[in-house]
Amino acid sequence: MEIVVCLKQIVDPEIPASEFRLDPVTKRQIRGSHALVISTYDENALEVALQLKEKQGGKVTAVTIGEEQATEALRKALAMGADSAVLISDPPLLEADDLGKARVLARAIRKLTTPDLILCGCESADWVSRIVGPFLAEELGLPCVTFGTRIEPRDGKIVVRRIVEDGYHLVEAALPAVVTIASDETNTPRLPKVRDIMAAVKKPITLLRMADLGIEPGSLKEMEGRIVLQDVAIPVREARCEFIEGDTPEEQAERLVLRLKELKVI
Amino acid sequence: MGIDWPRGIAVLVLTGVATAIFLREMARIYRFLRLGQGSLRVDRVGKRLLDLIVYVLGHVKVLAWTYSGVLHLFIFWGFLVLLTTILQQYGEAFVPGWSLPWIGNSPVLAGLQDLFILLVLVGVGMALYLRAVVRPPRFRSSNPLDAYLILGLITGIMVGLAGSRATAIALSKEAPPGWLAGAFLSRALAVWFKGFSPSMLHLVHELFWWLHLLIILFFLTWIPEGKHLHLITIFPNIFLRKLTPRGALRPLDLEKAESLGVGKVEQFHWKDLLDTFACMECGRCTAVCPANATGKELDPRRLHTAIRHHLVEVGERVIAARESGQAIDRPSLIGDVFSEDFLWQCVTCAACIQECPAFNEHIDKIVDMRRYLVMEESRAPDTILEALRSLEARGHPFKGALASRTDWAKGMGIKEVARDGPAEWLFWVGCAAAFDERAQKVAQAMARILQIAGVDFAILGGEERCTGDPARRMGHEYLFQMLAQENIATLERYGITRILTICPHCYNTLKNEYPQFGGNFQVVHHSQFLAALLREGRLQLRQPLNLSLTFHDPCYLGRHNGEYEAPRQVLRALGGNRVVEMERCRERAFCCGAGGGLFWAEERVGKRINHERAEHALETGAEVVGTACPYCLVMFEDAVKAKEAPFRPRDIAELLADAL
Repeated sequence: MEIVVCLKQIVDPEIPASEFRLDPVTKRQIRGSHALVISTYDENALEVALQLKEKQGGKVTAVTIGEEQATEALRKALAMGADSAVLISDPPLLEADDLGKARVLARAIRKLTTPDLILCGCESADWVSRIVGPFLAEELGLPCVTFGTRIEPRDGKIVVRRIVEDGYHLVEAALPAVVTIASDETNTPRLPKVRDIMAAVKKPITLLRMADLGIEPGSLKEMEGRIVLQDVAIPVREARCEFIEGDTPEEQAERLVLRLKELKVI
Repeated sequence: MGIDWPRGIAVLVLTGVATAIFLREMARIYRFLRLGQGSLRVDRVGKRLLDLIVYVLGHVKVLAWTYSGVLHLFIFWGFLVLLTTILQQYGEAFVPGWSLPWIGNSPVLAGLQDLFILLVLVGVGMALYLRAVVRPPRFRSSNPLDAYLILGLITGIMVGLAGSRATAIALSKEAPPGWLAGAFLSRALAVWFKGFSPSMLHLVHELFWWLHLLIILFFLTWIPEGKHLHLITIFPNIFLRKLTPRGALRPLDLEKAESLGVGKVEQFHWKDLLDTFACMECGRCTAVCPANATGKELDPRRLHTAIRHHLVEVGERVIAARESGQAIDRPSLIGDVFSEDFLWQCVTCAACIQECPAFNEHIDKIVDMRRYLVMEESRAPDTILEALRSLEARGHPFKGALASRTDWAKGMGIKEVARDGPAEWLFWVGCAAAFDERAQKVAQAMARILQIAGVDFAILGGEERCTGDPARRMGHEYLFQMLAQENIATLERYGITRILTICPHCYNTLKNEYPQFGGNFQVVHHSQFLAALLREGRLQLRQPLNLSLTFHDPCYLGRHNGEYEAPRQVLRALGGNRVVEMERCRERAFCCGAGGGLFWAEERVGKRINHERAEHALETGAEVVGTACPYCLVMFEDAVKAKEAPFRPRDIAELLADAL
């Protein structure tokens, strides 16, 4: 089975909230010197792909759009067991929106291979837009299953276990298909074996520029959606402490109720 | 005096047969040892020879356990002194009435020999009492038949010897031997044979004489079969023991190693295999093991005996397979011989190593097998994997930490090397004190003391990474080496030479393990630094702390680095304090449960180690448990919460800061 996994390198989502900074001009997170990691669910998607490869045989290709540094994320994917890796990198791409990125990914995938299955994380741990996977399916004209956790191949099709609010759905899909992956206990990303980490250093990473995908510098804008990001802000959390006075517990309780009503809490 | 050829030749033939059996078995064991990895390099020969005198002849470690130490001393020295009687016997075999030149007729030697016959029997009696009546749990996994057989053989040798000496005296009424005056025991026993006819006496003498010789020869053939092999292997084992710091694990060449860690018995270092043949199954290691004491599977004695039994079982086939190149079917080292749980229960506290009279190294073997699991198989308990992933991604093992590395220092006016340049001392904070809310208070207390004492210091801040101690002890040598190289590069870039740390784990790794990678720094633990500040009068105590105190020795400060005094000096200097020791303190201290990377493990089997240790502290009735390690501190805090114990754990720096 030929599997492509789309993944994204992001700032460690585990950094303390106090360290989170936004750039008011680009409206993006400032990376600073924070650790960069593969977005959480993308790692689960890679794990699902690797498990399928172990069961079925085949090949796993990791694809990312990002800066040069994103090769580190690809090296990690190679160390975990991906067979090849592709970095799509060009400065304008960093500004592209979700639809633009999905269209770029679609072009790259069409150029590289004819996959049986394309996996994405169900959402990125930084922007959480949850839409690149479905856009990608749309662009490639493929069926799409979102929030899958496990994939069983069956008679040339796949059965995807898809989490829903109070349980799961089993969804059958024809191949090729796009599945976005959520986490469960069966797809915790593996710790790469040390030999594989060392071998990953020697595996080649294909670099694609916009020109390689036939995208003119000016035409990227046309590929994007019509949504404009107006503003981003870090929510301000305030905590105040107020003492309710009163001579007796009854009196304190009464005043507390009045105050809560005043604040429209009750 | 004629030569008794028939007897002489009979003795030689029997000796030859026994020696041949002995050598054949020893050669087999030698071939098994040769399966191991690594080469033989001997440095510091003088020190090693001295060790043989102190620890073999002097029994210094054996005597650390008084009862069994004394009984062993009797038997061991008896064996040495009575070697003279064996030489004597070989002379007699050819020449009746022969005695050793110069000393053979000495009453002093005869007296010594008789004394040791008695002491050996006393020793055997004490051993029997211990095994059969006292039955300490440490003997549980040892083979009792082997022990009783040996005690029986020793008794037989003594009876044969005493009997032949007594009958020799009785036989030589007219011309008593020159040594008679000293042989108080044999002389007394000779009285029993007074009424025997000369021919009967002669027969009885012959019986004793042969009994003595035959048991010795049988003993010789039996030595390689059981734990009594230690009387040979102990010499090379102590001579070749690890002389590098105890806290430093053996480095692994990741580029060259055929296997990353040990998944098969022949992948152990050959000295580790020798260790297993030097184990005399005394079980002292198991008796002091905190995991074993809290009902877990880990048994440091079985670690050795099981490797030995497994090696003996599969050794011949492994040798044959090596020649033929074919794979063999055999029980798996990890899985069949040791469960993964067994390997993940070790806190690397070195209590076992401290007690082992043979200087066996338990931790290296366990970490070698963890290395195999983690690096070759990517297998470890989930929470351990989580910590490893965090170390890899963000350079610290505390996933989900709410603080940044420098949050604790906000508003304290502390220098950061990158911003303010290096200072006289680098204050290495460590991940625990940076990210754990409770342990942050230790970093703050320490910084405040340094400021009060006017010490010029700076921190690395965001450039500090985990030293790699947990990664290394969890078996991820690759990750450890990455972190070590990164830290060494940072330290060298700033030209840092002097490091002060509040974490014994960082202390041990910076001091003992970084030199393996070319990082040589002067490293001081805060207990030592504070003791020095107090000694030099650089801190004025404002108020004595009127508290009753006990002190918990961190394993990586105490047993791994031999520092027991400095933290106690600090506590004593606090004035008015009453320091009560726990029963298990200093070299015998009981781990808090966090070492070996197990701070990040779920302790699911048995009683929690920190709860057990909190009970030890409770027994002292102290109001405060002093520690000198952020991990010990947090483990105690958890135990105090769970058990609602009426004492407070505090770091020595916190206590000292309160008194300023």
